[in-house]
Amino acid sequence: MNGSSNGSNGTPALMVEDLRKTYRDGFVALDGVSLEVGAGKFFGLLGPNGAGKTTLINSIVSLARPDSGKVEVFGKDAHAEYKEARRMIGVSPQEINLDKFLTVSEALTYHAGYYGVPKKKAKARAEELLERFALADKRKSRVNTLSGGMKRRVLFARALMHDPELLFLDEPTAGVDIELRHSLWQYVRELNQGGLTILLTTHYLEEAEELCEEIALINAGSIAAQGSSRDLKEHYGVSSIEDVYLRVIHDAR
Amino acid sequence: MLAERPFQTLLKREILRFMRVWMQTIAPTLGTALLYLTVFGIALGTRIEEINGVPYLEYILPGIALMNVVTGSYMNTSSSVFDAKRERYIDEVLISPMSDMQITLAYTLGGTLRGVIVGFGVFLVGIPFVGVSIQNPALLVLIGVLSAFIFSALGVAVGALSNRIDHISLMTNVVIQPLAFLGGVFYSVDMLPSGLRVATFFNPIFHTVDAARFAALGVSDLNPYPAVGIVFVMAGLAFSGAWLAISKGPHLRL
Repeated sequence: MNGSSNGSNGTPALMVEDLRKTYRDGFVALDGVSLEVGAGKFFGLLGPNGAGKTTLINSIVSLARPDSGKVEVFGKDAHAEYKEARRMIGVSPQEINLDKFLTVSEALTYHAGYYGVPKKKAKARAEELLERFALADKRKSRVNTLSGGMKRRVLFARALMHDPELLFLDEPTAGVDIELRHSLWQYVRELNQGGLTILLTTHYLEEAEELCEEIALINAGSIAAQGSSRDLKEHYGVSSIEDVYLRVIHDAR
Repeated sequence: MLAERPFQTLLKREILRFMRVWMQTIAPTLGTALLYLTVFGIALGTRIEEINGVPYLEYILPGIALMNVVTGSYMNTSSSVFDAKRERYIDEVLISPMSDMQITLAYTLGGTLRGVIVGFGVFLVGIPFVGVSIQNPALLVLIGVLSAFIFSALGVAVGALSNRIDHISLMTNVVIQPLAFLGGVFYSVDMLPSGLRVATFFNPIFHTVDAARFAALGVSDLNPYPAVGIVFVMAGLAFSGAWLAISKGPHLRL
């Protein structure tokens, strides 16, 4: 379903150049982040709390306004061509943010509407995702009556409603039970194999090691290390990503 | 295109919201209007002389309808936008391919519709009391819609700028309600001492009420046509403010 991975012409899914963001209280969240995520990649972004992971994602989808720097999504400038750029991005945010006035199936179809997906197509897509995330018998329930795990599933399904080319999963498995985590990863892998580019932030390092082809470590607002999990381990002479992480984050302090 | 599908969807969502909670958004207003009509119109009204040659109950009906248009629109958008912001589901809209202008307009028109529905409802409730005789229906609709639009846009701005629920209720209780009650709904400004009369000219609700009364009854305190102009200018200003608040407001796009 995400056939157009754009991999052939070499345009990266995401290109971030020297992105800087200082919040009003003076906190430097992004201190010159540069990052390239190739089309079709499963990319992991790791780092401690407050390192700038969410600010980076927010700057790409214009929930934060970077002070300077450049962001391109499949070659589209995230600022000047925001409509095209945003249409290609799906976000499953860290904090659950479902519209409490909507039912499960409305949460999906309204989302599709916000992205301009035609009604019929949205309906079919919603059915598919409701089945896939085992939400079909909850379709008429208001989202605020669901359990935490179900809300998470609605959030994932929602992010996929408009068939994004680039999916941000911002700590998707925090507080999620093992069963859901496994089924989520299985699905996400399938999507990635179908051509979807995925950028994952997580605190579960073994998860990142297992899933991601490429990993970047972000610390204090800049990229501290980047490479495949094997390259990183080799470079730091350690046997796990956890050790790489500790080395990189610790050394920086 | 401004009115493309994303915009339509957000507008539809706004309508769905107030229809889904109609017991909070529509029904109480009509009940309150009925109370006003009973208390001021029937109980007290018989002891109040005609104003500008119009029986009191008939005189206050357009104003009561308009007061509800104004507060209904304002409360709709201020709470819708504030809730969306507090619970962060506004992010879903902010990261969608919609422009800030489209977002602002969708919220504003949603609130406008709620105000217009409520205002129309109040007129219907009033018919058994005063009968139907509207001098200039087209002008009345225009004034009603524009007034709803102004206060709906104001509600968007307040919802987007507020960081706490207290800000919303403070604005409602300290600004909107007093302006509504002092906007000449229950009296003619000619009945006021000169200081208060001058102050009333700075009350935006007074201009909308006065214009609505002219449209409905053919009587007004001011020359109605400049009032219509003022209403248009206010609509432009309020919408610009709302647009600015959505794109620069605190905790929206950081």
